[in-house]
Amino acid sequence: MKFKKLFVLLLMLYVGTANAILEVTVLKRIENAFPIVIAPFDVAGDVKKGKIIANIMRDNFNRSGEFNASSADAIVNKVDFDHWQAQKAEAIVFGKIEKVSKKVFNVWIHLVDVYSKQELYAEKITVHDSGIRRIAHYLSDRIYFALLGEKGSFYTRLTYITVVNKGKRKREYRLEISHSDAQNPQTILTSNSPILSPSWSPDQEKIAYVSFENGRSEVFIRYPFVRRKTQKLPYFDGIASAPSWHPNGESLLLTLSKDGNKDIYSYHLKNDKLTRLTKDTAIDTEASYSPDGKRIVFTSNRSGQVQIYIKDLKSNQINRATFEGRYNAKAVFSPDGNTLAMVHRVDKDYRIALLDIKSRDLTIMTGNQLDESPFFSPNGGMIIFATNKDNKGVLSVVSLLGRQTFALASKEGEVREPNWSHYSK
Amino acid sequence: MIRTIFLITTVSLLSACSITDDYSGPAVVEDRSNVTQESIIASDESNFESKSIVGTSASLSSTEKAAVVELKSAGASFILHFSYDGFDIDESATAQIIKHANFMRDNPSVDLRLEGHADERGTREYNLALGENRALSVKEVLGLYDLSSRVEVISFGEESPVSELHDEDGWQQNRRVEFIYR
Repeated sequence: MKFKKLFVLLLMLYVGTANAILEVTVLKRIENAFPIVIAPFDVAGDVKKGKIIANIMRDNFNRSGEFNASSADAIVNKVDFDHWQAQKAEAIVFGKIEKVSKKVFNVWIHLVDVYSKQELYAEKITVHDSGIRRIAHYLSDRIYFALLGEKGSFYTRLTYITVVNKGKRKREYRLEISHSDAQNPQTILTSNSPILSPSWSPDQEKIAYVSFENGRSEVFIRYPFVRRKTQKLPYFDGIASAPSWHPNGESLLLTLSKDGNKDIYSYHLKNDKLTRLTKDTAIDTEASYSPDGKRIVFTSNRSGQVQIYIKDLKSNQINRATFEGRYNAKAVFSPDGNTLAMVHRVDKDYRIALLDIKSRDLTIMTGNQLDESPFFSPNGGMIIFATNKDNKGVLSVVSLLGRQTFALASKEGEVREPNWSHYSK
Repeated sequence: MIRTIFLITTVSLLSACSITDDYSGPAVVEDRSNVTQESIIASDESNFESKSIVGTSASLSSTEKAAVVELKSAGASFILHFSYDGFDIDESATAQIIKHANFMRDNPSVDLRLEGHADERGTREYNLALGENRALSVKEVLGLYDLSSRVEVISFGEESPVSELHDEDGWQQNRRVEFIYR
C-alpha cells in the first residue's frame, strides 16, 4: 500500500459537534478481511480533496487488518448495486462535505450494504475549523464503529522521536506528534541532546519524555497544544527516566537510581510524593500500568536475564511473566489488560511479540532484526513499533487480526519510540 | 608524576550478572591506537560538554590539562570496554583504573566524570540503566581509594555511540565507560 507523502495541513483543526448516529448496525466479524469500497467524497466540486479523504480512510481501514478497502473511481450518487456485487464489495462508504461558512463544514456520510441494498448507517456531522485529514480520521472511526460495533483508533495521535544526522557526527533530536497514520507531523521540541521515551498523558494534553539537555537523563512534561511552560520533574541523583502515566493522569511511573539501584517509583504530580515500587539490586526499568491501574509491568534482569515482570499493587506480589526466550523487554499492557506486547529476542534478532498473560502463549508478530518500542492502538487492534529498514529507522504498524505490517512514512532521519495517544475528546 | 601506590588486589565487585552469549568475558582494556580521535568525535557528537583533549573538560586549568595529557601519554586508558550486557571489571581493567586512582590522588584539584555507554541492542531505557551500571563498576573500584566523592557518574545508554556500525565490531566499541577529568 502506498501512502500519500508530505501532505501538509496548514489549518489548525478540531472537530466540533457531531449529530447523533441514526442507526448502528454491527456486521458479524468474519475470518477474512471485509471488502469495503470508499468512494471519493463530494467536496463542493473539489475532486482532489474528495479523493484525499477517501484515500486516507481506505488506508486506515486496510491498516486495521479488519478490512480490505478499495477506492472507487467516481463519486457515487446513486449506488450501482449490480456493479459492486460483481466487484465482490460488501459495503460502500460515500459522502458529501459542504462549506457552511469559512470555518464550518457539514459532512454527510453514508454506509450502504451492497447485498441487502440497505443503508446501514448515515450521519450528518458539523465540523468546525478543521482540516480534511482530521475529518477523514474522524469519519473512519465512525464507520469502523458502525461496521464492527467497536471503536476505531484513527482519530488519535502519535508521538515519537526523530533523529536527523547533521553531519560531523552531530545529531538533531526532535520530539514530534502526528496523526495516527504518521501524517501531518509537527515538531514540538528540537534538541542537540538525546530525547527519549515520549509518553502521552491520558488526557492527550501532555507528553512526558526524557531529555539530556542538562547533560544527564531527566524527565520533563511538555504541553504541545497550549502556551504553557515545560515542566521539569525535581532533581534526582543518578538516572531519572522511563516516564509512563497512571491511567488517571495524576502520577508517573519512573525509573530512578537515586538509591543506588535502578528501581521503579511512582511520582505524584500534585504533591511530589514518591513511592518506591521495586527494590532489587538488578536493573528494573520500563514500567507501565495496566489499564485499570492495579498492576504494573516492567523489565528486570533480576533472574540474570532480561525478562518481564508484573507487580500487583494491592498484594505487592511480583511475578515473572515471560519464560520463553532469554530476552524480553519493554512490555506494555493491551487496552483490555489481558495481553502484553514486548520486544522479544529470537537468536540475534529483536522482534515484537504478544504474550497472553494467563496462558503464557507467546506469539511473534514481526520479522525484522531490530524491532523496538511496541505500543497498542487505543482499541488494541494494532501495534505500532519502530524498526530498521535499509539501515534507517521507520515506524510500522502491525494489525493483530490480519497480521499485516505497514510501514508509515518517515520524511528524514531515524524515527524512534512511537507512543499512541488515547482517544481524542 | 605518576607514582605507584599500594595496590589493592582483591576488588569486590557489584553483583555480576551477565548474558555472555555474544561476547564473553569481562571488561577489556582499550588497546586500539585511535582512542583520542574517537573520543573527540564522541564528545563533538554528544554536545554535552566540549572536550578539547581526550579525557578533559573545559573546566580544567591548563596545568591540569597538561597533567591529564601526561597521564594519557604514560599509557593510561581513558576508555574501558565491556562484554554484552555485562559490567564486570577484570584484572587488567582494574590496573587501568588504579592508574587513574593514583592520578587523582596526585592531582587533588581534579574531579572525574565517568560516562557509561551501551551498544544499540536491547531497549533504550534498559541500556541507559546498563550504562550507569558500567560507570558505577568503575566508580566502585575508585571508591576503594576513597575517591568516590570526586567521581560523578552519568549514563548515556546507547544514545552516544562512537561507532555507527551495526555489527559486533561497532557494538564492541560502543560498550564502554569514558573517563573525563573536570
